[in-house]
Amino acid sequence: MKWVRKFHKWASIVVGIQFLVWLLSGIYFNLMDATKAAGRTYQAHVNYQNPLDTERLVEPSMVLLKHQSSVAIELIHILDKPFYQLTHEKGLYSHFKNTYTLVDAYTSQQFLIDEKVAAEIAKRSYNGPGEIAEIKLLEPTIPDFPKQQNPVWQIYFDDVIDTNVFIETNSGRIVGHSDEHKRLADIFFMLHFMDYGNNGSFNNIQNMFLAIAALWLTLSGFMWTIHLGLKGKYKIRR
Amino acid sequence: MTIKRKLKQYTNVKKLLKTSRKIHKWLMLFIGIQFVIWSMTGAYMVFFDIDYIHGDTLVVNHQDKINPHDIQYSLSTLFSEYPSAENIRLSTFLQQTVYRFVVNTEKGPAQFLLDARSGKTLSPISESKAIAAAHYYSRLGKVKSVVLITDNPPFELSLRVLPAWRINFDDFGAPSIYISQATGELVGKRHTFWRLFDWMFRFHVMDYGDAEDVGNWLLFVVAFFAILGCLLGLIMTWFLVVKPFKNKAVSNKNKPRGVL
Repeated sequence: MKWVRKFHKWASIVVGIQFLVWLLSGIYFNLMDATKAAGRTYQAHVNYQNPLDTERLVEPSMVLLKHQSSVAIELIHILDKPFYQLTHEKGLYSHFKNTYTLVDAYTSQQFLIDEKVAAEIAKRSYNGPGEIAEIKLLEPTIPDFPKQQNPVWQIYFDDVIDTNVFIETNSGRIVGHSDEHKRLADIFFMLHFMDYGNNGSFNNIQNMFLAIAALWLTLSGFMWTIHLGLKGKYKIRR
Repeated sequence: MTIKRKLKQYTNVKKLLKTSRKIHKWLMLFIGIQFVIWSMTGAYMVFFDIDYIHGDTLVVNHQDKINPHDIQYSLSTLFSEYPSAENIRLSTFLQQTVYRFVVNTEKGPAQFLLDARSGKTLSPISESKAIAAAHYYSRLGKVKSVVLITDNPPFELSLRVLPAWRINFDDFGAPSIYISQATGELVGKRHTFWRLFDWMFRFHVMDYGDAEDVGNWLLFVVAFFAILGCLLGLIMTWFLVVKPFKNKAVSNKNKPRGVL
């Protein structure tokens, strides 16, 4: 029993403060508004019209012949207009490295998501009171979305919660919204995951080390509690 | 500091420690088990790489290129046969160029899989084709069993992707590969470590119901008392471990050297 107590004491020195941080950030996750914490405070549900004049469509085989070889070709809509999205190099997930070409499905002209297009996509996905203040091109890694591996347009809105919209430059895909609520939640995630390098991951050395210390602390405490119980130390005195 | 004041402070600390110990002891009788659960499930999640957990190593990310000359069945023909086709895409499936698309019907969306050479429907996918697809999407060995899931999907499979073939492999971690019966696409992958992870997460957030919900009241109540217990524990750590250690260091330093 002497060793159990020693373990408990020394483990509490190592992991005690972090245990409190885990509990406080944990209770924050319990109480937070999940929509706001995900940065979706002003994210609108976009309902596109998707009109299609099938007579005018260029055949996909013709499009494929004109560009470098593709793994997939898909008929998509960007701002109510049809495009072919050619995937040349496919990542396992959309936020992984992907290479695309966008082609106007009526004229077979290559199409680029420039600042103006990105701004328009961002505006449609936004239902807050702000206006666009600034647009920037960002290469990964993107602090607000550390797992995103493709370049993005960062569109700043001048509302009070500093909403940013991130649009993938090679596909026009909305990576996500971010605002002060998400950035605050991200701080708590950083603390909970001990992810001080903002890698968007909890599989790090410091976390593993303290996870072991936490196991020592709780298991020794558990044994101590059982020991106290067996010795009849849990008695209600009147 | 006078002896009297020091003595008073000493008794105050003693009182504080006595109360802390008592409450800490009683709190842990009730919520100590959740502390053990938190640290065990937390350690599991921290030690297993999340990309491994998500089965990224189970699957092969094929880069098979489309041969444009394979597309004999044109898109305009497709639209004349399926005027309301949506979400149309072309890719390679088991060395064959295929169209995939959705037709929204009154009963809900219907998925299609067509051969791009002939326009022939290739779905629903047969059992043998599903097995071939599972081998194509993964590097796994021997197939143990195959099940067609049409309703009541297991926890690990989304209702949206039904009907789907579940191919269970006789391999490390009892992996399963899910293939959509309508499109032949890979719609799910799971192994023991991911299945365990799901359970670990639910125990970690004290979600003992059936929704994966971090915002439940049970977690709040237990976490609230846990914070109290943790603070009292830290008080004891400070006065019983850190301070005596510091004092010892100080008195060691002040000890006259060279004497004795």
